Amino acid sequence: MTTKTLNVAVLGAGTMGAGIAVVAARAGHQTVIRDIDDKAVGRGLDAAHGFLRKSASLGKLSQSDADRAMANLSGTTELSDLASADVVIEAVYENLELKQQLFAELDEVVSPQTLLHTNTSTLSVTAIASGARHPERVVGTHYCNPAALMKLVEVANGRHTSTQASARSIDFLQGLGKTTVVTKDRPGFIVNRFLIPWENNCIRALEAGMGTVESIDAAVTGALRHPMGPFRLLDIVGLDIHREVSLRLYEQLRDTRFAPPPMVDQMIAAGDLGRKAGRGFYTYEDTRSFGS
Amino acid sequence: MQSYRTIAVLGYGTMGSGIAQVVAQSGRDVVVLETDSSRIKVGQGTAAAFLDEGVKRGKLTAADRDQVLSRITATTNVADLAGVDLVIEAVSEQREVKAEVLARVAEAVGDDTVITTNTSALSVTDLAAGLPRPERVAGLHFFNPAPVMAVVEVVQALQTAPDVLNSLVRFVENLGKTAVEVKDRPGFLVNRLLMPYLNDVVQAYDDQLATAEDIDVALELGLGYKLGPLALLDLIGIDVHRHATLSAYEATLDPQFAPPPLLGQMVSAGFLGRKSGQGFRTRTRTEETP
Repeated sequence: MTTKTLNVAVLGAGTMGAGIAVVAARAGHQTVIRDIDDKAVGRGLDAAHGFLRKSASLGKLSQSDADRAMANLSGTTELSDLASADVVIEAVYENLELKQQLFAELDEVVSPQTLLHTNTSTLSVTAIASGARHPERVVGTHYCNPAALMKLVEVANGRHTSTQASARSIDFLQGLGKTTVVTKDRPGFIVNRFLIPWENNCIRALEAGMGTVESIDAAVTGALRHPMGPFRLLDIVGLDIHREVSLRLYEQLRDTRFAPPPMVDQMIAAGDLGRKAGRGFYTYEDTRSFGS
Repeated sequence: MQSYRTIAVLGYGTMGSGIAQVVAQSGRDVVVLETDSSRIKVGQGTAAAFLDEGVKRGKLTAADRDQVLSRITATTNVADLAGVDLVIEAVSEQREVKAEVLARVAEAVGDDTVITTNTSALSVTDLAAGLPRPERVAGLHFFNPAPVMAVVEVVQALQTAPDVLNSLVRFVENLGKTAVEVKDRPGFLVNRLLMPYLNDVVQAYDDQLATAEDIDVALELGLGYKLGPLALLDLIGIDVHRHATLSAYEATLDPQFAPPPLLGQMVSAGFLGRKSGQGFRTRTRTEETP
């Protein structure tokens, strides 16, 4: 498949932003990472370059492809540098006001044909788009972490998203080598919509003494053949992150299945945040985090 | 200390044949009780076909297969079960059917034989209460397909004696499986967690969150599940899942177990999943491609 070279801009140089930038650059697009200061932009570019170098050393990518992808990457702190962008992918901190404000500012900078994507995981695409003058070209495109490795992107149209913008976005994502699924603009889309109550239910089963951390993980991996038990996964995600995502979905859905069980607060209070803290449901010798 | 050498399996259906095979593969002798010879033939065919597949894939030799099959005998006469060390009941998931078979078998095997049930939806405590010496009764919940699935739930009824439970845990481990000790609660542990999740997915699908395929693809790729929830339901059988989750609902009155209305409608329409050729992801009529 021949893909047209596009100008892609990624807003936010964090884990998700850097991962998405790798995906775009690897697919041959001119990719610029934008964040608010040079330090953040530098960190994001370093992470993206590091990933591509590691891919080459592991033989997942040829050295020349890795070099080409790195040459496609650049950074900026200026929103005005995004004027020629064909696609802007927003991956900033999960805060509605911040995202709304960014989309309003983008309207002043980019062309009316530019696709505006938001990588929100828990906020409403419609609400984010309400900050834009042209909400019809705002599309929810939710990547999984680590974005450079995970195939899935959930595509959610806001209330005012045009079918044309949605179709163009799916073409773009498939050109990146992603598998797309189309979902409604509902809290948690598909994956988090089902993962969060599942995890909370497992925590409640543990609280109720239905099993131990080890036996519940063993039962789930052995009987349901999940790649990982619920508590191993929670340790990797981080209890603080799990609590935040749960609460954000609970606030929108008012459904108690999304409310984080008391054990989550207790573990956070005790500093048992999971893998990154060396201690969560399990204890770890090192604090290496997922994807590093 | 109990060690189980000769095992009676009650019922030669999907679960019964799988359990008989697992037990025979551990070197034990198995006698399967069924109601008639045609059902015995079906069960023997299932076990033989499963093992043939293993030979074809190089997982075991033809000689291994013959030896495993030679350790499994079948009977329609309950008196042939006298002298077994352990009973594993795997008949139809209906309380009256199970209670009736278990009572007859208990009489034939005597008061010292440990009796277990492979029920997934009924109360082990309730089944134990109908038998003499209920302290020797427990649950052994295998998952389908039993030869493949690595976990067996060992269910402690209110009456189950601790040494019986311990001996069953060792037995399961000796079969090469992971034993997970659970209390006698609706759904035990795995189905207790699985059923609300499946119900939730069915309701969201009915509420048009996404297509059945996209829901499955999202969870397979996003979470690494081998099988998306709707393909899993097609495999389990829509009627089987509905029956199990309704039983849990009736026992708990907890709405997360209440079967979504779509399940009842699918059962009415005969859309039972893979076995009927029509379910969430199974379609016989190809013109329905979206």
